Amino acid sequence: MNRSLAVIENLGIAFSGEDGKPVHAVKGVSFSVGREKLGIVGESGSGKSLSCRALMGVLPPSASITASRLEFSGIDLLRASPRTRRQLRGGQMGMILQDPKFSLNPVMTVGRQIAEAVRLGDRRLSVSSIRRRVLEVLESVHIRGPERVYDLYPHELSGGMGQRAMIAMMVVREPELLIADEPTSALDVTVQAQVLEIMDELVRRRGMGLIFISHDLNLVSRFCDRVLVMYAGRIVETLEAGRLAEARHPYTRGLLACLPAIDGPLTPLPTLERQADWREIPA
Amino acid sequence: MIEIENLNVRFGSAIAVESVNLLVGKGESFGLVGESGSGKSTLLRTVMGLNRNWTGTIRLNNQDIRSAGRAALVRTAQMVFQDPYASLHPRFTVGNALAEPMRINGLPNISRRTAELLELIGLSQDYASRFPHELSGGQRQRVAIARALSLSPRILLLDEPTSALDVSVQAEILNLLNRLREELGLTFLLVSHDLAVISYMCERLMVMQNARTVEVLTRGDLRAGALKQDYTRNLFRASLHGVRPGVQP
Repeated sequence: MNRSLAVIENLGIAFSGEDGKPVHAVKGVSFSVGREKLGIVGESGSGKSLSCRALMGVLPPSASITASRLEFSGIDLLRASPRTRRQLRGGQMGMILQDPKFSLNPVMTVGRQIAEAVRLGDRRLSVSSIRRRVLEVLESVHIRGPERVYDLYPHELSGGMGQRAMIAMMVVREPELLIADEPTSALDVTVQAQVLEIMDELVRRRGMGLIFISHDLNLVSRFCDRVLVMYAGRIVETLEAGRLAEARHPYTRGLLACLPAIDGPLTPLPTLERQADWREIPA
Repeated sequence: MIEIENLNVRFGSAIAVESVNLLVGKGESFGLVGESGSGKSTLLRTVMGLNRNWTGTIRLNNQDIRSAGRAALVRTAQMVFQDPYASLHPRFTVGNALAEPMRINGLPNISRRTAELLELIGLSQDYASRFPHELSGGQRQRVAIARALSLSPRILLLDEPTSALDVSVQAEILNLLNRLREELGLTFLLVSHDLAVISYMCERLMVMQNARTVEVLTRGDLRAGALKQDYTRNLFRASLHGVRPGVQP
């Protein structure tokens, strides 16, 4: 994680509320990501997905974005043309969403969808070399019988297979940075482990950067190198991997405490007592 | 309270539940665990009378559900679904959603009972006039639970009741369910893929795979890791460790 791939400084995202006043969904968020696995954890509405979508450039036009710095591999995204940003998306930056059922095209075979991504990346490639490339990438995400899966439609795949196909589509262009937004939340625990292993392998082998968004604090701290904890649009704490037990912020500690454990006590679970000052920018 | 004998459920040529036997005592909380497609939700839906194509015997509170009839069944058992965003009518106010089952079943004192239900789930009375989109996910799931309780059933069938919620909200809902079980003497049949939730909520559990029972365990067995089948051991390991730590030192 020597050089930073993406740098975000003082990011704010606002939408206009019912009374016309701006509603600030993300406030003063700063972080950078290198060739590492960075986790972002928080509850629904904490701004974790929005922050990453701002980096991708896929927020709706109704969102107003402010930042003192928003860069991706040296490119100033705040000033970049829509054309440049389009080229970055899918090329150097990829994104995986939670549910493959909704993010794959239901009327196109898996192979053709991935082939489309390859073709957009290099229009001079021949049909046969595109096909070869697709089969290779399907194999690299541990899909058995890629020839057969090539011709399947998304509804013919299981959840885990669908998510692997989604990952294949995103990594086939060899992005520098992959943003995975709750990529395993819709999957069974056993399948989850396989998908995480594949992503880990891609990070190590290709030196890719990964931003892993999740609400599962334990999972993220086991899997990632660094974890940002977000609450109400702010980063409240940054943790090194495996140092979850040393978390200091009451919100992070509260999140950990309210999880039941297989061998935990049977007394009522502690719930979060939300404090107003968690919404302030930490000093 | 729940007696299931030799239950088989088919969808066309596919077998969704095969030769399942299950006994759940009065006031007990029983868990069903397994991966997607293992048949646990189908089992629950069949008990609620939402599947037609099944063979075997299901008795709830000593009534055979084939002969008991719909009206008796809905007052014995009710179901709570995974997604509170999808399970409440978007154009019904909370009060209306709670009152509807009582109206359909011709119960008296509907407005008083609606007020009681709101109190039971810890929401103030002004929530009666709100719409689902004005509520958070946790509040919606509370309303879905209150609606399930509106006919005063003895059994709640809970299908992943907290997996669509944030962990802090999950804790609140699990606490609420435990309190209600104690106060109202309810029997739970709870489906979850999360072994920690099952261990916290249930005295006994059944592990399912490919439509069949793998094994039945007590909470003590689960906590001690006293698992007889390899499949359960794998599930247990994946739940505890999830990921291999990769390159971490």
